[in-house]
Amino acid sequence: MRAYLAFTKKEMTEYVRNFKLFLAVALFALLGIMNPLTAKFLPDLLANFMPAGITIQIAEPTNLDSWMQFFKNGTQTGLFIIVILLSGVLAKEYEKGTLINMVTKGLPRRTILFSKFTGALLLWTVSYWLCFFITLGYTLYYFPEGTTENLALSVISLYLFGILLIAVLLLGAVLFKNAYGPLLFIGAFLMVLFLWNLFPEAAGSNPLVLASRNMDMLQGALPLEEIRNPLLLTGLLIASSLFSAVKIFNKAAL
Amino acid sequence: MDILTIAGLGKSFGNQRVLADLSFSVPEGSIYGFIGKNGSGKTTTMKIILGLLQADVGEISVCGEKVHYGDTRTNRFIGYLPDVPEFYSFMTAKEYLRLCGEITGMPAALIRTKSEELLDLVGLADVKKRIGTFSRGMKQRLGIAQALLNEPRLLICDEPTSALDPIGRREILDILLKVKERTTVLFSTHVLTDVEAVCDRVGILDGGKIVRTGSIAELKKAHSRHSCAVTFRTPMDAAVFQGDPRVSALKNAVLADDATVTIPTDDPETTMTLIMRILVETGLVPLRLETAEPKLEDIFLEVVR
Repeated sequence: MRAYLAFTKKEMTEYVRNFKLFLAVALFALLGIMNPLTAKFLPDLLANFMPAGITIQIAEPTNLDSWMQFFKNGTQTGLFIIVILLSGVLAKEYEKGTLINMVTKGLPRRTILFSKFTGALLLWTVSYWLCFFITLGYTLYYFPEGTTENLALSVISLYLFGILLIAVLLLGAVLFKNAYGPLLFIGAFLMVLFLWNLFPEAAGSNPLVLASRNMDMLQGALPLEEIRNPLLLTGLLIASSLFSAVKIFNKAAL
Repeated sequence: MDILTIAGLGKSFGNQRVLADLSFSVPEGSIYGFIGKNGSGKTTTMKIILGLLQADVGEISVCGEKVHYGDTRTNRFIGYLPDVPEFYSFMTAKEYLRLCGEITGMPAALIRTKSEELLDLVGLADVKKRIGTFSRGMKQRLGIAQALLNEPRLLICDEPTSALDPIGRREILDILLKVKERTTVLFSTHVLTDVEAVCDRVGILDGGKIVRTGSIAELKKAHSRHSCAVTFRTPMDAAVFQGDPRVSALKNAVLADDATVTIPTDDPETTMTLIMRILVETGLVPLRLETAEPKLEDIFLEVVR
């Protein structure tokens, strides 16, 4: 346990000192501010850029537009930033051979992976919820009368999907010892999820639901009962990714 | 007691055979010099001892416990200094030692006193900057400090002096001599003067196995001979000396240099007496007379040829 805490502390120190934490927090805070702002002012901006004489009909923006921005940016930009920031999570250690010292000191290899996972999780958690609360605050401020059905479920779903990507990324990092391998691995994983959607009878269980149908959840069209399978599968995939990562890493040359 | 025993170790990379039936043991309390050419398998052997590489055949035990590939418990007895040690560059030396101590489960107070003591020993006590800015010698010294932190019973150093300048090398050797009282050291190198300076026992690795092993004195006695050398002012004098029937009769005489005659011998005193008698009788005046001790280098060159 002490070894786990010590190595996790090392991970966090690394995030702080090489500015990864700062970068993630700054970018996610920016996204959090942008979401409601874009929703609020996009119609005005568009109207300003239109040539004189042409008018376009845009519905008055609502809080839902703000959340739509949140989920769009959260999935497209947010997850992307996190995956890029974490893609070198093991590659650098492999490349420099810094883990050799740790392992020969008797640090169990699974502890290394769990610490790496914890560190990545903390980075994601802090950034994501920061982004969420900023969006929430501004949304309540700009659209005080807007209501949502299932805000918690839709936001937690995307958060869980982020954790899934981190677990898969870690498995990729164990399998491929450079920084590009894990990125390709994530790409392949997402590709599989997209292909999964081609089978309508199975699409309902696809973990991708957690990151693609958040607006439906938010509006009450997709209740918790209907995403039980994707939630379960996500949990299962996270657990099995971590389990196989540990198994493989235990026998990997450092 | 033997702290490290290796029996019948074999390892190939693809079809390149690096180790073939390697066996040796390191007695407790010694500094064991593990000598071999570049690429002879020294690092491979060390990595197998640490469970970082998988052996094809053979067994290793450290302090009586068997070494397994991957997560191996035996590593708690071992301190390891890699040939080019790499640390987290964003940490200071002190922070790094604390991380190492916490990983091995040392109590916080002990980590603090031990870190201070070791940083003092390796001369990094006053260095506050991050490891990323360290020179190679400083990293090597930090490497020794981290390897000794948990008072290992066996310290494995992979060519600790090879990349250092003469001062850095001397410092490392002095540190090794200092830690000898508490720890057994396995020390790989191809710098033979370092071996002669600090090691009690040596093993020479060639062709994937130990070809010679023993204390330095034993090796010198068994595998190489003394020699007597006479250096003259001119090659002509040397030729005259060599032409003496008693010298020709020795049949070992070698005209090594222009004006130097070297005579390998098992009994340097008798040979030297003979040489001096010849010099007196022939009236040749030597520039230098020398009885040369056998050098480890000669043994090494002899066995790895």
